[in-house]
Amino acid sequence: MEANTLNELKKFALDIRIETLNMISKHGFGHMGGSLSVADAITVLYGNQMKYDPENPKWDGRDYLVLSKGHCGPALYSALAIKGFFPREELLTINKLGTRLPSHVDKNLTPGIDMTAGSLGQGVSCALGIALGLKLQNKPNMVYAIIGDGEAQEGQVWETMLIAPNRGVKNFIVLLDNNKQQLDEFTEHISSLGDIRRKAEDFGWYALTVDGHDLSAIDEAIEKCKAEDKPGFINMETVKGKGWPDKEAILGNHALRGAAFAGVDEAIDNLRKELAAI
Amino acid sequence: MKYEMFDAKKIIGEVTLQEADANPNIVVVSTDSAPRTGMAGFIAKYPDRYYELGIMEQSAIGVSSGFATAGKVPVFCAPAPFVTARPFEMFKIDIGYMQQNVKAIGRNCGFNYSDLGPTHYGLEDIALVRLIPGVTVLAPIDASQLRGAMRTMLRHGGPVYLRIGTAPIHKIFDEEAFVIGEGKVVREGKDVAIVTTGEIAVNVFEAAETLAAQGINAMVVTMPTISPLDEAIIRKAAEATGRIVVVEEHYEVGGLGTAVCETCAKIAPVPVKRLGVPHVYLSAGPYDDLVKYCKLDSAGIVETVKAFIAQENS
Ligand SMILES: Cc1ncc(C[n+]2csc(CCOP(=O)(O)OP(=O)(O)O)c2C)c(N)n1
Ligand SMILES: [Mg+2]
Repeated sequence: MEANTLNELKKFALDIRIETLNMISKHGFGHMGGSLSVADAITVLYGNQMKYDPENPKWDGRDYLVLSKGHCGPALYSALAIKGFFPREELLTINKLGTRLPSHVDKNLTPGIDMTAGSLGQGVSCALGIALGLKLQNKPNMVYAIIGDGEAQEGQVWETMLIAPNRGVKNFIVLLDNNKQQLDEFTEHISSLGDIRRKAEDFGWYALTVDGHDLSAIDEAIEKCKAEDKPGFINMETVKGKGWPDKEAILGNHALRGAAFAGVDEAIDNLRKELAAI
Repeated sequence: MKYEMFDAKKIIGEVTLQEADANPNIVVVSTDSAPRTGMAGFIAKYPDRYYELGIMEQSAIGVSSGFATAGKVPVFCAPAPFVTARPFEMFKIDIGYMQQNVKAIGRNCGFNYSDLGPTHYGLEDIALVRLIPGVTVLAPIDASQLRGAMRTMLRHGGPVYLRIGTAPIHKIFDEEAFVIGEGKVVREGKDVAIVTTGEIAVNVFEAAETLAAQGINAMVVTMPTISPLDEAIIRKAAEATGRIVVVEEHYEVGGLGTAVCETCAKIAPVPVKRLGVPHVYLSAGPYDDLVKYCKLDSAGIVETVKAFIAQENS
């Protein structure tokens, strides 16, 4: 990746984290951990990979993202606002009565959201359906789905894992935000996913593992998947809460409420300084 | 009126632990939500009887059914949609049709998860479970009743679904034995009967006071059991007042209101007004805003009851 592009992506990633922390802390509730761990994948998708038109969110040349771990809406909303799908100020309406930005992504409310999610495991099947539909029409659009490691315990995820390679979809890439934590606990202590990359490979996917906070590595992994004749599975090794050092990889960082946001202003300030320094 | 408030999750956890002390067959099944939601005491004391499966609600119902066959009394507690809607067919067959001794608890029902929005609202759980023959459906009114209902449920043989919101809930009544299938007249009145279930009842009690001050005497009937429904008390309310308003934090379609209409059509035909959540997709939003929007706050209940009576009299 060119240095210039990488710098722009780095700025975009910081901007997403700043807006995410700002919107959820001002609202007083939000899924902090998973929103921050997925921020870099969203950065690469909207900063370098996906085709889209903020003026025309339903443009039929667009690529699709299904945020199957729909509780991380805030990170995606931040990216969409930064890219001009709707005004940045609107981010502060999260979860207010009548908002277009509920905490879980909703296709009928938000410009740029193609699939509703929130009940874990469902989005990834819907994403597969989009990919199959596009393939049937010989369309080149890509379909991406982002799932969580906790979410990957849902049986429905494994149904998609089975069908996609059997149907030979290749315009389909699943990104696993493998942040090692689910709602209550470390995933390892609940129902470990084991060697998830290998499991995906055994199911027939082109599967690889990357550092999910290395922007050029994520970008490269997507390029590799696109070059293959199979659906792609990217196991992104990530840190839950990445970008707010005090909250990284600790229990209780899944969703924060009220007083749990103590220290967020300093965290946002630090991200702003980092952004200014690029 | 000011009531003492209790954390419903804590009550669920406490009663489960007490009953588990007496009954070694009680096990707890969880789908990534137990420790922080009241079961910490149980987990600490009985780690071997606690099964954290991960996020797999369909399996949780199936596994619970299997536990029942093996002589255990499984308690599965999770947000209402993930206990009822997500694994509905497992509920229907593995619990209902097989008549397994499984205790399913749908917490954060109604708008309780207002912060999480429509995918997490529990607005159709009564309708879904009520549809499955032979499953008892409980919706306690207050903290005391929740304690009693939990105890009765865990001692009762057969499938039970208990729904509860888990925002802080009021303690309104003194504790007494909870009897499945019994409604209760908590206020006498002759102008209209208000039938209600679940913790939203507290708003009904307040509304009844306001109505009384305005010269409308409402009978108030609480229905902490929805299936099997106390049909005798519905008949009594219908005969005493001639009209019924049903208030519930559930879709107007399929819930207690529907059950009351079915009963009235069968044995006590009087006009019924269902005041629940309108059968549309609602916005995300703060809990109080949503309750108010649906007219389930006491002012909304007063307004609805008065309009119903006026319409009936016109
Ligand atoms: C079907 C279903 N069950 C339970 C939940 C409640 N829930 C929301 S997020 C979450 C944990 C998700 O963990 P993971 O997929 O690892 O997400 P992340 O760590 O990225 O936040 C749970 C259990 C849900 N939303 N949907
Ligand atoms: Mg996770």
